[in-house]
Amino acid sequence: MANRQVETEFEKRRGVNKVEMRGNFAQINVYGLTPPVSRSRLSVLDRVAACGVSIDFLKLTSDGLGFCVDQKQVEVLRPALQDFGANVTYLEDRSVVLVHAVNMRDEEGLIARIVSSVLTTGATIDHMGDMHDRLLIVLESKSAENVARVLKATLVGSPI
Amino acid sequence: MKSLVMKFGGTSVSSNEARLRACLRVISAKEKGYCPVVVVSAIGRKGQPYATDTLIGMMREIDPAVAPDPRELDLMLACGEILSAVIFAHTLKTLGHAAMAFRGGQAGIRTDGVYGNARIVSIQPTSILRAINDGSIPVICGFQGVYVGTDRAPGAELTTLGRGGSDTTAAAIGAAIDAESVEIYTDVDGVKTADPDYVNNAPTLRVVSYDEVAEIAHLGAKVLHPRAAEIAMKFDIPLWVKNTFSDDPGTKVVKSDEFPGRRMTGVTHSGKLIYLQFDLSGIEASLRSELRGYIYEILYTNGLNLFMTNLSPQGIGFAIPRSQLTRFQELFDGLVAFLDDHIALFSIGAVPSAGVVAQQKLLARSKPCANVQIDMTENCSMVSIIGHEMMQEAGLFVRVLRMLDEAQIPVLQTSDSELSLSCLVPESETERAVHLLHSAFAPQAVE
Repeated sequence: MANRQVETEFEKRRGVNKVEMRGNFAQINVYGLTPPVSRSRLSVLDRVAACGVSIDFLKLTSDGLGFCVDQKQVEVLRPALQDFGANVTYLEDRSVVLVHAVNMRDEEGLIARIVSSVLTTGATIDHMGDMHDRLLIVLESKSAENVARVLKATLVGSPI
Repeated sequence: MKSLVMKFGGTSVSSNEARLRACLRVISAKEKGYCPVVVVSAIGRKGQPYATDTLIGMMREIDPAVAPDPRELDLMLACGEILSAVIFAHTLKTLGHAAMAFRGGQAGIRTDGVYGNARIVSIQPTSILRAINDGSIPVICGFQGVYVGTDRAPGAELTTLGRGGSDTTAAAIGAAIDAESVEIYTDVDGVKTADPDYVNNAPTLRVVSYDEVAEIAHLGAKVLHPRAAEIAMKFDIPLWVKNTFSDDPGTKVVKSDEFPGRRMTGVTHSGKLIYLQFDLSGIEASLRSELRGYIYEILYTNGLNLFMTNLSPQGIGFAIPRSQLTRFQELFDGLVAFLDDHIALFSIGAVPSAGVVAQQKLLARSKPCANVQIDMTENCSMVSIIGHEMMQEAGLFVRVLRMLDEAQIPVLQTSDSELSLSCLVPESETERAVHLLHSAFAPQAVE
């Protein structure tokens, strides 16, 4: 039996501990769905699933939904989502900036602070999602790199 | 000599009889050649005299309008585990086994200085190891440590680790003394595929990965605290969840690469959320980005916790804990934002409050004023399915949403990760949603 962990850090520090970026996404927004919207959303998702396309960061809006897909899948989805009686926008060349922080939903104000920091850079956020340990922010690829750099510089290791 | 950390939760030490069972488990481990190290929670659950929630209640009932000082509250809460550890150690002594109770600080647990939610930064287990070498069974207070500030103040400050802190203590002590394994004893047979209060025949998972159990715990399962799983994973310590009151073998928590290949793990729920949607459609599109920045700045500076954040061209949305609703209402109902030559006036709900109406009248005399309505849905909960290498499957989202739609359970928002998919639903529908998703997915969870 050894006393092996003297003065060793046991838990990750609170606050942002890593920022990374992943590219080659497309953001798809569907809006203006006919009521009942919950059923119409299912029809959209059925069509997407029928194409064998996996979606990320599904978010519901009052008259539609938004989600991310691998950029390569956009051309697969276009025909499936046309003639649907709804508006569909395809935002291509998107990247996801992932901001990691342990237990971030329980750290007061942390998620709002990260979003606020992104908006301060002047970038437009297309889409967003959170998990217990990371925030995912979808942006145009050309601004994502700068956002990731700013977040690293201002938030990683910063006290909360 | 091989050591074993055995942590007993509140129900496992809630009565003399329960404590005796726990002590016999400790003695049995010792007789098998282990050096047991015990970690205990406070005695019992809410309503029982020394339970953590009871102690919190004693402070709050003095004047509900005055929040207790976090430092003082930590001093108060730590008493629950101190009582528990001393009684447990004494029980072992009465059974003929040398034992010694330790506060968190005496066990060498040092934390950061965040009262009520401290994180462990180091452990110097010298006193624990000395007790073991002297033939004693150390009984350590869970949930607490000490913060040694940089101001050279005499004595360390007592801190508590937040909810589930005793699990965290057990895993960290296990890491510090290089334990052979850490066993978390509770009043259920292990990690279940759903909350047994909702699904009474929910099967016990025999093996789960650290990642899965951390995800399950973060999304509402109370059987094991995620920080404990994270520490065990980091230090590669085998972790078990077992029942003090049965001989069920329990659940073993293993590394992902030892994962047995199961697909769906279970269904969890966590509640007491308020869903808020800001309608920005009345604001000129060119001003919305600035307004969003203003909103998030307020949320950040006032420490509001956001769940299920989302954003669309016409608005933003998120959920907050119910405990923060009053703070949110005070901040946003009647809030005025100045945007170039426009004014945005925030109001919560479809019918403006008297304060908002008065603001509208005043502001109408100055610049053009647009209303930002905030729709509020109270009493929401998050129901999640958790699985391994499952969430990327095309069509899974639609399957879940259809199931809930056909049962007429409204889904207000969703979120997803590599391991989970969550839906925000009305709290009144939580149990039905858990049942539904469990019956559809959980059979895949058990080998």
